[in-house]
Amino acid sequence: MSISVNGQSCVPPGFRFHPTEEELLNYYLRKKVGNEKIDLDVIRDVDLNKLEPWDIQEKCKIGSTPQNDWYFFSHKDKKYPTGTRTNRATAAGFWKATGRDKVIYNSFKPIGMRKTLVFYKGRAPHGQKSDWIMHEYRLDEVTDTNSHSHSHSHVASPIAEANQEDGWVVCRVFKKKNHLKSISSPKNCSSITSDAKTQLMHSTSDEALDHILQYMGRSCKQETEKCSNASTSLSFKCLKPIETIASMHERFMKLPALESPTFQSSVSPTCNSQESYMQDTVAAVVNMDRNYNSGDGITDWAAMDRLVASHLNGQADPAKHELACFDEPNFNFYPTSRLLLSSGADECTRGASDITSNTGGDGCDGDLWSFARSASSGSGSERLSHEESGGAGGRGGAMEWRYPYMGPDQNLLTQVRTYVDILSERGRGPMLDPFFLICFTMRACCFNIRADQARMYVS
Amino acid sequence: MGEGITSLPPGFHFYPSDEELVVHFLHCKVSTLPCYPDVIPTVHLHRYDPWDLNGKALQATDRFYFFTRMSQSRGTPNGYWSQVGSDEQVRTGGTDVGLKKTLVFYIRDSQERIKTNWVMHEFHLLDGSHSNSSGGNANSRTKKGHSTKECNKWVVCRVYDSSGGSQSSFQDEGTELSCLDEVFLSLDDYDEVSLPK
Repeated sequence: MSISVNGQSCVPPGFRFHPTEEELLNYYLRKKVGNEKIDLDVIRDVDLNKLEPWDIQEKCKIGSTPQNDWYFFSHKDKKYPTGTRTNRATAAGFWKATGRDKVIYNSFKPIGMRKTLVFYKGRAPHGQKSDWIMHEYRLDEVTDTNSHSHSHSHVASPIAEANQEDGWVVCRVFKKKNHLKSISSPKNCSSITSDAKTQLMHSTSDEALDHILQYMGRSCKQETEKCSNASTSLSFKCLKPIETIASMHERFMKLPALESPTFQSSVSPTCNSQESYMQDTVAAVVNMDRNYNSGDGITDWAAMDRLVASHLNGQADPAKHELACFDEPNFNFYPTSRLLLSSGADECTRGASDITSNTGGDGCDGDLWSFARSASSGSGSERLSHEESGGAGGRGGAMEWRYPYMGPDQNLLTQVRTYVDILSERGRGPMLDPFFLICFTMRACCFNIRADQARMYVS
Repeated sequence: MGEGITSLPPGFHFYPSDEELVVHFLHCKVSTLPCYPDVIPTVHLHRYDPWDLNGKALQATDRFYFFTRMSQSRGTPNGYWSQVGSDEQVRTGGTDVGLKKTLVFYIRDSQERIKTNWVMHEFHLLDGSHSNSSGGNANSRTKKGHSTKECNKWVVCRVYDSSGGSQSSFQDEGTELSCLDEVFLSLDDYDEVSLPK
């Protein structure tokens, strides 16, 4: 397909098809969905299941100018007639979604969603990751701020979900550039010191956490046996309700980044036995909310907390360690009335105070946390409800992912193991470390916080 | 500016490759050949901080383009451009035709210097790639230091904010996926293995 008039290319030098996301959604996809004529047929229809990524560049080229990205329309088909998932397998491999879906805004109005997918050669779950990346854009009229905290929106309305998983999408395919982004590269180190402020402003809590986890994954690989010992040295012994959780979380929010040498050295293995560490960690077990039937507070993160809890319970003696040190209300800012704090909490005083140096922070976090504290002390329930009615964006998709409370039973344990298996399968090393699981939970919370922050910035 | 070629359908933007910038635009400028499309204006680099380029330089897809004369200092009212990394070759058809320098903008704040996210790609023409001799060989220039000749030398610049407007993040994302993102997504694969209801 070439853009030409009387055989002459009418695209002047330097110009090429490089649409903005808004143009893709608001012009091309909207016309496609509405069956309107598109002036210049630059975006072809493609059957994604029949086209390998390396064939896309030939099929979707525009004129003769060299391209780094290619565009096409694709009609999503369901994997199973009854399900909601999309079949994105080709003969040679499959496209696998990764990351969270991103809301695409037209100034401040959400107009659609972007899903990022990576091409894996082979068949799940043993595919081999490639450098081919696809951004899949869908129009999403009903998008609200809820949708972007987790990619898989277990949207309340089945109709909305059906719309999302069925129909025309516009895709952009490109080959990932191989930047070497090593966390330990000297370049990064220096940029941390000279730009600490910028880093703090731009890097987010989960980046820091990711770094931690990446590092953990790496050290786990290197010293499989000492995996959990390494994390013990973070003095992550016990978790204390409310304040400590908050402050620990805050620290996570403000971790300078893993590049900080102090942090790295603090990860040196010490000699706590795995067993005793487990027991300490079990002190952080979530006490299940027995008031579940009120039905207003079960979130995915709560489920995650439980998964962690049940996992830990599964490995240690559940009866012995029935301590209630934190509960998802802390994380998700529910009123304390739902907190069940046992006397065992007293043991959990140290918290994360030694975890690493705190590097100051910005006012936004402070506000957030003062809010968190007031909410969890019960006096902030009014603000809380206001917050919820004000858009519920904070917990986002979390609200929609509800699991009934079943207690720390074998099923949940299996689930945790499943997650851990996924990680191991991806070469992240043995991740059975409880510290990891707690990080995982913390990370889940960061999601919520970030969504809140995002909304604060927007509003 | 730049989107002034209105006959193009939506989605077409001025988004030149390095090669196009050098071979097409810079070569024409240096050779004082008529340039089509004549979209890249000439800007005195030292007069503007990068955030003031709006309206002065050609802005297309969140990037600024302009010609400027090479000068010894790359200072601006509130800061200066400082080179990072080494020169890259710009090639066309297997021949080196230009040099690409990457620079970062620093704000000069009393004693401190503050690094910014503003990045500039500065393209130089290599000798022999144009008939006019005003260019000079960039390689020899770097070896011999600054000559008076280079004050007349044209370069073409591409300036952008690397912290990302929508378009630049659009470019780079997909490489920024964390392992936890993957885990969260992997949970979707276990839909069928649903939790007890």
